[in-house]
Amino acid sequence: MALYFFTPFIAIILTILGGGIIFYILGFNPIEALKFYFITPISNLYGFSELLLKATPLCLIAIGLSFCFKSNNWNIGAEGQLTFGAIVGGGVALLFYNQEGFYILPLVILAGAIGGMIFALIPAILKTYFNTNEILVSLMLVYVSKLLLDYLVVGPWSNPEGFNFPETRQFSDSSRMPLLFEGLRIHAGIFLALAAVMLSWFILYKTYLGFQIKVSGLSLKTAKYAGFKGKTMILVVFMISGACAGLAGVGEITGPIGQLHRMISPDYGFTAIIVAFLGRLNPFGIIFASLVVALTYLGAETAQIFLQIPKYTGQVFQGMILFFLLASDYLLFFKVKILSLKKNELRH
Amino acid sequence: MATDLRISNISKIYPGCIANDNVSLQFKSGKIYALLGENGAGKSTLVKILSGVISPDNGEVFLNEKNLKLSSPLDAKKNKIGMVFQHFNLFETLSVFENLSIDATEDNKSLRVRINEIFKKYNFSIDLDVPVLNLSAGQKQKVEIIRCLLRSPKVLIMDEPTSVLTEQETEELFISLKKFCDEGILIIYITHKLKEVLSLCDEVAVMRKGKVVSVSQTQNEKVETLANKMVGQKLAKIKKKINISKNKDEIFKVKHLNFYSDDPFETNLVNLNFSVKKGECLGIAGISGNGQNELFQILSGEIITPNTSIIFRNKEIAKLNPKQRREYLMAFSPEDRISQAAVPELKIYENVALNNFKSSNFFEKGLVNERKIKDHSKKILSDFSVNTDNVELKSQFLSGGNLQKLILGRELITAPELLICYNPTWGLDVGAINYIHETLIKINDQEKSTILISTDTEELLKLSDRIAVIYKGKLSKIMPSEEVTPEKLGVLMGGGSID
Repeated sequence: MALYFFTPFIAIILTILGGGIIFYILGFNPIEALKFYFITPISNLYGFSELLLKATPLCLIAIGLSFCFKSNNWNIGAEGQLTFGAIVGGGVALLFYNQEGFYILPLVILAGAIGGMIFALIPAILKTYFNTNEILVSLMLVYVSKLLLDYLVVGPWSNPEGFNFPETRQFSDSSRMPLLFEGLRIHAGIFLALAAVMLSWFILYKTYLGFQIKVSGLSLKTAKYAGFKGKTMILVVFMISGACAGLAGVGEITGPIGQLHRMISPDYGFTAIIVAFLGRLNPFGIIFASLVVALTYLGAETAQIFLQIPKYTGQVFQGMILFFLLASDYLLFFKVKILSLKKNELRH
Repeated sequence: MATDLRISNISKIYPGCIANDNVSLQFKSGKIYALLGENGAGKSTLVKILSGVISPDNGEVFLNEKNLKLSSPLDAKKNKIGMVFQHFNLFETLSVFENLSIDATEDNKSLRVRINEIFKKYNFSIDLDVPVLNLSAGQKQKVEIIRCLLRSPKVLIMDEPTSVLTEQETEELFISLKKFCDEGILIIYITHKLKEVLSLCDEVAVMRKGKVVSVSQTQNEKVETLANKMVGQKLAKIKKKINISKNKDEIFKVKHLNFYSDDPFETNLVNLNFSVKKGECLGIAGISGNGQNELFQILSGEIITPNTSIIFRNKEIAKLNPKQRREYLMAFSPEDRISQAAVPELKIYENVALNNFKSSNFFEKGLVNERKIKDHSKKILSDFSVNTDNVELKSQFLSGGNLQKLILGRELITAPELLICYNPTWGLDVGAINYIHETLIKINDQEKSTILISTDTEELLKLSDRIAVIYKGKLSKIMPSEEVTPEKLGVLMGGGSID
């Protein structure tokens, strides 16, 4: 059990080692490169606030995903739910683009959560009533929502004074997340993420719904035997998950971005899958994991500036984390035995 | 060339059970041998040893007087021992030909020629280029057989081959097997179906509780004599006093229970009708795989079947799920303790909370009432003498017997009017078995009813007031248990008929 929470650390250490080797092969001094990657980005206050800024959506989405994954529902379309949440939330913000009012931001946030929820309900309903595979459906819906966003920002919602750039108007200040500190981009969305952590801990460990999720995740046969309403539960976990992704989306557009355009998320929805597993589907583990993974985003940007290597190395690091995590989980239950094989014992 | 396979003093011991106890057998080519026995008699273990899947603790296997070292399935292959398992080992999405060519050593062209030769010789016809998933169960089995034949085997072992076949396919299989036998392949046929033994095999070895209890020529045997040997003649010694009385109310009534499944490994149930009286134990006997799983799940509400009527205490409950049925005071103890009735990774009190009936208040307004669940769990642990008082213990640390006590306790503490249990003592030691039998008798004494689905005839005779046998999804007539003998049960369980 202790090992179960220990393997994420092994995975992180192996990722850093693996990253060092890659940098060495690319001809950099590995120690220096890793320093640029993991330490420089957070060596000042601005960097640290950027870390929290990136960790916020990751944490929110991963919390939502943990409900799905814990109950054996494989929602991998959080990126789509994030996008759709941003579209709905952004739509409401655009309605009020020239108005002020304290009620606007809550409306926008609510709309975002509902948007994500509705979009997550599609794979959930198809799974429960038509027996489709939620992995495929939720994944394919990502492209649907991205194309819809594309259409909206170049077409009907594009800024009339925007010289045909593929983006909408700027949201009014009443639709923007309040900033926490002058000069830093970190915004009130972080409180949404923290609230989601607390709430998810409460639901997962203290309620009947959480109990049902736990049992279904461990044994679907037992859940059926106990008479849990399987279909309702699938719908509920997808709704929670979609709402969290929608919140993350709306947090991005009302926070650092301030409008809708094509690139509202650097694949937060997919990366959050790694965060959820690295955090062991545990609400507090997810906080930690979201910080680690957010650092790979920042590190990639610093490395691009100082080392002139593409920022896509961030994805390499994220991939390595998942790879090493799965590998160490898998090998955890293996006994390593060294055998001497004589030649005639070798089989073809 | 004649083949001679000899098994000498094979033993295999698993923790808590002796699967094979000093088994010696001899087989010669030109005959079809049956290996007959109930579930758990040790047939499968013996076959797995012969095919190299597991190694015996003791004993040797000789093929034509050569001592075989079978430490992996590959060794069996090399020594020309072919095996067709009950569950097929085919890649469903690959074509028939791809499946056959996977471990072939020759090129595709000559393989195709050889396969076609086999087709011609044995009158097989399967399209080689369709994916395996489009084949019927019988055709899939043929693919497995062809795979064995391609290696020109000396010994062919068939493990329960007809369990997924239709009557027609079974007949075809038998014709092929007889042909193989005429060509000098030694055939060992594993089954628990008595009729098949009599119609197909020349010699039959019967196993019971890990031992070979008889070897004989099938022509000297009848369904009854084989059944006797298979179930053993040990009569139940302790028998509860029969509880039957004609004028008691029928508390539970099932009408027109039908179940149809597309899955070849599930059994269809055909028009079951029965009822249970107050304070009575209805036993349902049968060899496993004859529909007991499906029956249990339908009675518990895990599977809802259309057009079935289940009346419990004068209410129609056929459409209710297990949780709703529990509210009407039914309780269920499934066969599978560790992945259905309880979750090993959960703590004891969490497993207790699985039986969440309304008046328990385990979950008030959707919140977990941990204290209530724990108090309730403590009561179960002490009332049903589970050997721990730590409700925080993970259930995986309980022995089988203690886990079963916990499950029965959880189900019984609600004082249900009807308990449905399926193989409640499967895999338990004698002490736990006695405890559970006593508990089940006690329920009946308190005028509560039980339905006992079991593959253990001894247990059924000991506990039941009336007994019926389920065979291929059909229920025999229900007999008062004093009229039932182990032999009669054996015949019915093997698909024979009495009277």
